[in-house]
Amino acid sequence: MSLELLIMFAFGGAFLTYLAGKISSKLRDIFALLCSVALVVIVSSLYKVETTITLYNGFFGMPLSMRLNPMAWFFAIAIVSSSALVVLYSMSYMKHRERTDYYYFMLLLINAAMLAIVLSGDLVSFFISWEIMSWSTFLLISYNRNAALPAGIKYIVMSLIGSMCMLVGIISIYTAFDTITISEIVQHMATATAGYKLFLLIIFSITFGIKNAVVPLHTWLPDAYAESPSPFSAVLSGMLTRMGIFGFLLIMFVMVGAENSLHMGRGFFSYHNILAWLGAITIVIPTFIAMLQNDAKKLLAWHGIGQGGYMIVGIAFGTSLGLAGGIFHTLNHAIYIILLFLSVGAIEYSTNGLRDLNSLGGLFKKMPIAFLGGLLGICGLIGIPLTNGFVSKWLIYKTLILGKAPFLAFATLLGTWGTILSVYKFLHNLYLGQLPQEHQNIKKTPLAMQIPIVILSLTILVFGILPGLPLKSINAMIVSFGFTPLTVSIWGISSETGTLNMINIFSILLVVVAIFWLIFQAARKSTAVDQYDNYAAGAAIPKDKYNYTVEFYAPFYRMATPYLRDIFDMLYQKIARFTEFACDNIRKIYTGYVSDYIIYIILFLALLISAQLKWSVF
Amino acid sequence: MNEMSILDPVLLIAIPLGLAFLIPLLGLVSKKIVRWIPVVGFLFNGIVALLILPHVLKQPIIVKIGGFVPPFGINLYAGSVGMLLASLIAITGFLVSIYAVKYITKGAEQKYHILFLLLLTGATGVVLTGDIFNLFVFFEILCISSYALVAYLGTRSGLEASIKYLIQGSIGSSFLLIGIGLLYGQFGTLNMADLARQIVDYTEPSVFVSMVFMITGLGIEAAIFPLNAWLPDAHSSAPSSVSAVLSGIAIEVGLYAVIRVLFTIFAVSNFFIFFMVLGVLTVLIGEMSAFAQKNIKRMLAYSSIGQIGLIVFAFSISTQLGVAGGLFQMVSHTLGKALLFLCAGYMIFRTGSMEISSLEGIGKKMPITALCFTIGTFSIVGLPPFTGFASKFMIIRAALANGELLLQILIGLVLVGTIIEGAYFFKIIQTIYFKGAHKTDNREEAPVTALIPMLILVSFIIVIGMFPNIIDKVLQPAASELLDQVKYIGSVLG
Amino acid sequence: MKILSLFISPLLALIIGLLFLGISRKITAKIHWRCGPPVYQPLIDVIRSFSQKSISHGAFFDFGIILSLSSSVVLIYFLPVGDLYAMTSGGLIAFLYLMLLGPFGIALSSAASGNPNSSIGVSRKFLLALAYEVPLLLVLLTVMTHYNTISLVEIVNIQAGTGMAFSSWALVLPGIAYFLILPAVLGVRPFEIVSAPQEISSGPVAEFGGKHLAFYTLQHALQLFVGLALFVNIFLGGGTLFGLLNPIAGTVWATILGIIIFLVKMFIVLVIELFINAVYPRFRIEQAMRYLWKWPTLIAFVGLVIVAILN
Repeated sequence: MSLELLIMFAFGGAFLTYLAGKISSKLRDIFALLCSVALVVIVSSLYKVETTITLYNGFFGMPLSMRLNPMAWFFAIAIVSSSALVVLYSMSYMKHRERTDYYYFMLLLINAAMLAIVLSGDLVSFFISWEIMSWSTFLLISYNRNAALPAGIKYIVMSLIGSMCMLVGIISIYTAFDTITISEIVQHMATATAGYKLFLLIIFSITFGIKNAVVPLHTWLPDAYAESPSPFSAVLSGMLTRMGIFGFLLIMFVMVGAENSLHMGRGFFSYHNILAWLGAITIVIPTFIAMLQNDAKKLLAWHGIGQGGYMIVGIAFGTSLGLAGGIFHTLNHAIYIILLFLSVGAIEYSTNGLRDLNSLGGLFKKMPIAFLGGLLGICGLIGIPLTNGFVSKWLIYKTLILGKAPFLAFATLLGTWGTILSVYKFLHNLYLGQLPQEHQNIKKTPLAMQIPIVILSLTILVFGILPGLPLKSINAMIVSFGFTPLTVSIWGISSETGTLNMINIFSILLVVVAIFWLIFQAARKSTAVDQYDNYAAGAAIPKDKYNYTVEFYAPFYRMATPYLRDIFDMLYQKIARFTEFACDNIRKIYTGYVSDYIIYIILFLALLISAQLKWSVF
Repeated sequence: MNEMSILDPVLLIAIPLGLAFLIPLLGLVSKKIVRWIPVVGFLFNGIVALLILPHVLKQPIIVKIGGFVPPFGINLYAGSVGMLLASLIAITGFLVSIYAVKYITKGAEQKYHILFLLLLTGATGVVLTGDIFNLFVFFEILCISSYALVAYLGTRSGLEASIKYLIQGSIGSSFLLIGIGLLYGQFGTLNMADLARQIVDYTEPSVFVSMVFMITGLGIEAAIFPLNAWLPDAHSSAPSSVSAVLSGIAIEVGLYAVIRVLFTIFAVSNFFIFFMVLGVLTVLIGEMSAFAQKNIKRMLAYSSIGQIGLIVFAFSISTQLGVAGGLFQMVSHTLGKALLFLCAGYMIFRTGSMEISSLEGIGKKMPITALCFTIGTFSIVGLPPFTGFASKFMIIRAALANGELLLQILIGLVLVGTIIEGAYFFKIIQTIYFKGAHKTDNREEAPVTALIPMLILVSFIIVIGMFPNIIDKVLQPAASELLDQVKYIGSVLG
Repeated sequence: MKILSLFISPLLALIIGLLFLGISRKITAKIHWRCGPPVYQPLIDVIRSFSQKSISHGAFFDFGIILSLSSSVVLIYFLPVGDLYAMTSGGLIAFLYLMLLGPFGIALSSAASGNPNSSIGVSRKFLLALAYEVPLLLVLLTVMTHYNTISLVEIVNIQAGTGMAFSSWALVLPGIAYFLILPAVLGVRPFEIVSAPQEISSGPVAEFGGKHLAFYTLQHALQLFVGLALFVNIFLGGGTLFGLLNPIAGTVWATILGIIIFLVKMFIVLVIELFINAVYPRFRIEQAMRYLWKWPTLIAFVGLVIVAILN
């Protein structure tokens, strides 16, 4: 199977899905699903294939090409599989919504664009796909109307800023090296000066930093995640935002090269160290801000920012262990955050759009599958052992501790402990605690929404217990960057400085749980009761139930709220308001009086002539 | 000359001019047929122009009117630039006149069509002529017909805008005439090539005065800041089909004239920094003013100012790449802005208001028009895979090619303008699709005669955007023609 | 040895943990001029609880508490008691994460009951955990950075030669910090905010009865054991005493004596903690957080800075 076919299939599938929707919505759903499954099949059949093809020379004679290598394959398979699950999920979730043709079209187009990004072999097709992804994302973020509109604008403006930076970077590379093919740029890079490399690193970091929501460039993300339709929030958080990580890998380790990008500057003030510290800040502050959120999706969104920080720290630290951790975390994050968004989406579906953490609760008996997804999702997010998040975080911590960066390590660890608090609140306020009366009879979760949740939940466990599966492919990637390979086996990582053996921990825990379960069963049987049985300790149950969900960590809020504000968002809002103000005043140059206009003309003429008389320009 | 009789550039001017005068006569026969005359005329023009275009890429065609050898007679210079723009004018004219068949139904229909033909005839004349006084004449034809067309609707705002436009336009024409007069007094010739040849050897600074007058005069039509104050009023009060042509053709022809005068006649090199700054200023002021608008047509008009600024900036880089980028940007602006005005025309027609807020929910009401509008905005903002991206790519490349710090800073400012542009255009898109009630009443799509030109423009935008090589083949010779003054002189004077 | 410790370690930890629970109740009572229950009272309670009636809010309610106890047992396997340990995989980081699972399981279980008192208790537990984890993480990072390893066993082995970590003066400050937060880790006075029987009906355990309560008590005992043992391992040299056992190194007696030394050290630390803290009244949660984030964190941070500079 060739790459042209893959790309044509991806883009063509999106268009055809839209057209199919004009015939019948059933046909469209099935077609969309078939398309995305077919993409999964095609991409997985390309495992370990390395190839380059030239698509066409139509763009000013530049050879636009596609190439497949371990890095591209790794991201491609993640993109297509997550998209297939989301499409399946959408079949039920989006059933009764408006403009569903458009929704599927955009979803598949974004998917195709992401695929094109990771497969592009030159910077121009990279940029074109990047932009297609950006504007189609904008169109889908705005889908939910109302609050989604400002979120969309915020997203697209920041995204445009990033794109413009990247465009300047790409064209400057083209000017300097006279090529846009990545593999050729790599060769030319040896001749470039250190200053130029630093310029490239910085200008691309702005673009990818915005996409990956690195503090202080993160402000678009919370609103965008929260206001998108939930399946799309999943795509957005799982893969789309992580195109930033792909970009960082591309610029740091492919184009500029590890030996350059890790030795740029001195001591603390080196490029990668500052990036790592930005990553650390990205972990800590957003994670604690997440704790204050009362909107389930916004809470996840802030964690999306925070977890992005781990990837940045891992990558920026630049050892094979850290790199593997960062990349693996990208994959793991995609799995569990998609799962969590789908889980929240299931609640939204069942409760007609509720996602307020203060008005839900106790749904775990009503929606067991969604609850399972939520539980395993947050376990992965925290990094509880035996879930996938643990392995990647372990790799990152180990890198930092043994790499003599205890303060970075502290930031990452602190982030995790902050995560526990907020995700527990998430789980508790949605699924645990008391079930409010009005949610006693809610809609069931449809099968099409359950299947992706179950698949993802299993993946979390499988990757947590057998981390070697993805780590092998990641190993191939870091070897292609020129790093020493890790000793990876199916159950984990072995090295002289500490071994991680997940299957060991898993089997012991399994045995111990089994033993205690048997003891538990052997003891006197307990009586099953409902939630109000012991509510008042045997006294009459009061009419108004007291449910502890609002202000879940009240003492902490009182202490921390004044400090946990998104100052950058406020700053940017201020800049935006100032720009609006400036625009409004600039407009007043055009006063509406012809006499003024004539004065402008005369002044212009006079200026030119007097300039000539004074300085004789001509 | 004989075997190319059908490919005579003179026809490009003569046919529409003749048709324009034929309209009153044909109007006596049938009212309906009149509407189709511009369509036929520009279809013919388009075909002829596209047929001539490949021939002129290697060697320009010089038409000697009345057989007088330059510099003595009036000559037409059909080079790559001229034919590129002439084709663009003819194609846009063709599409807009199809649109106008159903769109222009009220008022003095015949006069509209006459003026429309004259306007584009003037434009074609300006881009093809090789004689500076001839240029003035065609320019006047263009300007006067546009004054009249702006007032076509007869509304208060239309008349006011028209008068304002007239006043400023007249000042511009006078300045232009003064400049030409001064040149004629000094050199005794009106032929551009001849003037250019003499000015090269002439070192007196007095030439500067005539240049300044000419540039100011032409700059008013070209809408360079601060000479562009007439534009927002005029473009927003005219009927949308006229706005499309004014924004897409008229100001760009004005700009062409400025560039032709600067590059070919005066060949100034140390003047371009000034123009570069002016261009960036035009971009920023245009985009920032557009950002604050609540009226969709005014917003589009201000956006045209911004785009003109970008084109000025590109030309002032005055390298092969820069000039080619500027020409390319002209093409993409014409396609994009014409499309936007055409779409906006029917959107306004259906909602009965020019306020952006009244466009809520129009995406459901007129899905195809809204889609075309969206693609138009994407192209204008410069998002791939539409043509605006390709041209912007070329301009940025030109700006970075020199490695000059000033250029880098200026291109940064231009990109800031692009971001502002993106912000307001994306807001409109949200209004169109995502605001207002979920359910709308029945669909009220624009008529087929309006949809066809829109869809054709969309396909141009996409095809050129994906395969810019098609147009690059024309842009490169065109850019070298503008830059190579010696060759120009040589090809005319022999 | 590893196979052996798979069976011995949990039993030892459970028994010692329960015993320590009883001892601490006794000592606290004595300080309060009360008589107090016998030291084996917790053990009796556990056995009695198993035969008592209990209520269940469903499978998840049961699962949470089983998970909590099981993970605490797994934690014991990571913890060297003298020479006794079963697992090293993942080192101190895995250990830290497994420490999470215990409270997490209880939190899941008790929240499934839907009792607001449980929810309040869990909320307090997590806040308290966040409060003491900040200095604790700093302390552990200091130790890992100082010895440049993430393996707990290796840390213990390095110290075995010296007998006490305090001989390495860089670890004095972290040791003090750990000592200051230890009562919070153990959940004893003045940090018994989580259960606070008089305020929130014992918090997380409000709905636990019978075997659920027994499991909870066992888990609590293990937690007590882990908190003390970690301190002994990291700062007090584990099962060694200034090379006292060197002559008989390698024999079974050395192992057994090592374990005894280890337990004695734990006991001493516990008693000192109790003497200091039993006289304090219970903190409110904000006060606890303020306290933990002030002095212990500051000391631990200074300790980390010193070690980072030394390296």
